[in-house]
Amino acid sequence: MNTINDANEVLVDCQSVWKIFGARSSAAAKAVSERGLSKSQVLNEFNCVVGVSGANLQVRRGEIFCIMGLSGSGKSTLIRLLNRLIEPSFGKITVKGKDIASLNAGELRDMRARNIGMVFQSVALLPHRTVLENAAFGLEVRGIAKDERNQIARAALEKVGLGDWTTRYPDELSGGMQQRVGLARALAADPEIILMDEPFSALDPLIRRQLQDEFRQLTKSLGKSAVFITHDLEEAIRIGDRIAIMKDGVIVQVGTAEEIVTKPVDDYVADFVAGISKIHLVRAHSVMQPVAEYKRLHPDANLDSLLQTSPEADIAALIDLTMQSDRDAVAVVENGAIIGVVTTRGLLRGVAGTSAAAVDDR
Amino acid sequence: MDISVITDTFDEWTDVTLSWISDNGEGLFDFIRAVLEGTYDGILWLLQLAPFYVIAIIAAALGSRLVNIWFGGLAGLALILCAFMGLWAETMSTLALVMTATVLALLVGIPIGVVAGFSMALDRVLEPVLDLIQTLPPYIYLLPAIALLGYGPATALVATFIVAMPPAIRLTSLGIRMTPREFIELGQATGLTPWQMFTKIRLPFAVPSVMAGINQSLMMAFGMVVIAGIVGSGGLGETIYGSIRTLDIATSINAAIAIVVLTMILDRLTQSAVDRAKETDR
Repeated sequence: MNTINDANEVLVDCQSVWKIFGARSSAAAKAVSERGLSKSQVLNEFNCVVGVSGANLQVRRGEIFCIMGLSGSGKSTLIRLLNRLIEPSFGKITVKGKDIASLNAGELRDMRARNIGMVFQSVALLPHRTVLENAAFGLEVRGIAKDERNQIARAALEKVGLGDWTTRYPDELSGGMQQRVGLARALAADPEIILMDEPFSALDPLIRRQLQDEFRQLTKSLGKSAVFITHDLEEAIRIGDRIAIMKDGVIVQVGTAEEIVTKPVDDYVADFVAGISKIHLVRAHSVMQPVAEYKRLHPDANLDSLLQTSPEADIAALIDLTMQSDRDAVAVVENGAIIGVVTTRGLLRGVAGTSAAAVDDR
Repeated sequence: MDISVITDTFDEWTDVTLSWISDNGEGLFDFIRAVLEGTYDGILWLLQLAPFYVIAIIAAALGSRLVNIWFGGLAGLALILCAFMGLWAETMSTLALVMTATVLALLVGIPIGVVAGFSMALDRVLEPVLDLIQTLPPYIYLLPAIALLGYGPATALVATFIVAMPPAIRLTSLGIRMTPREFIELGQATGLTPWQMFTKIRLPFAVPSVMAGINQSLMMAFGMVVIAGIVGSGGLGETIYGSIRTLDIATSINAAIAIVVLTMILDRLTQSAVDRAKETDR
């Protein structure tokens, strides 16, 4: 899952971005940049609310980047800074290498129309237009001829499985189908980056899981990048290549699902992670015992008789392997050599979500 | 000092001013009268092209299609009743008056409403003016009109126009301002130009409110057109005014029935258009 190559092009880059709301926001922003005030100091001194404070993030080409946080954590503000629906108080945001603060009105419209699509929690389908006309909306405002835009929109609707619904109106569709149209509308414009603002939050759990999987698959197969906002950590884990956890306007931790689940940086993240099932997140390399230590504890064990697996195998796969053999351990093999052993103790640690590193202090 | 000196002086000034305006603006007022009466005559001529039963059949068809079959049938029969009461010509004159005044009020009111929907400044200026127009008794508007345009349909049209305009302005401006926030955001995120935002997002969402404004303007116009009988508007208003003066109660009741028939038919037809607009806007 996490095969992100660091050499990959950075599409969206935020550098210490702040957004401060309130009547004296510009004075507050100045004070923050000059004196480095904290969020509560800004509130006390200027009576301004800090929406996003000092956010740094990089979204790479082909990556799905989830921003997870509870309501009021600033995640919706942050995503709107990325296409300048909200102007940052200060900090620099570049999209495809271009500082978006420097764009004039026409260039900004062009960037939104071509490079950055957006899908909303409210879906926002135009009620007086058919599904096809809604999907073609972005192309229509770009002045693309009717035949051509309808053809592209129809293809986009087929990708989301709504090819038969083109002539219907939004109110004839279920919530899940409406959100698919919202996604098709964003895809039809063929942007490099799609901003997803809690798109599945209002859907029921079953439809939601289905759409999560479809969304991930579609985004990957089309090679798009996405920034996905959610308040649901499980959703972030299912969808995201990397996840940023936000709290009170601050990005607390950025990492892969496994990193966040196994090594939460603080109690806040740890609390979130506590309820998450780890069996698909924790992998063999983080729960295995080094070969030497295994041999010391089991002097008479024959390593070659153990079933073998790769360091990337997850806990669920390790449990399956352990059940298949009469031995209570599985060997982890990399480049033909046994690099460690996962014992039953290791499996239990993995299920509990604590990595071997944390317990063994290796 | 006697207070009447002041009021007498004021009255004198008013007279002088009005006669100065009507002397110096004669060409202008002749032109206004020509336009108003020309439009009115044109619409009336169109309405009188067809015999009464054709109009009744058209009303019945429209009513059945837009409202329901019962309303359509009733509308047709009610119009035939107007003809049998011997008031067909008056009914059509009233319809022509109302249509002329309403169309003019919409032509002026809707664009003003659109601008007011965008400009808080204009809206703040308009608000007390519209309040004043709607608070004053409608009779008032006959006075300057009759002084400047004389006795006849033109005066009735101006007064009706003034009374019918406020709802068109108010409800259009409201409709423009009420665009749901998430659709404004959609427009921005899609990269719409300000003009596209207006035509593709704000205007479609404003349609139900604008339609309600049209309906309200029409109703205000009906109210005024009866009052305007006193300045020689022609039509049912003048019939009622004349028959009340001669204590011809029967005729005045007949005319009142014809007014009610006309008002209800147009109200229900435009109301159904409002409902339709709302339905597609769900």
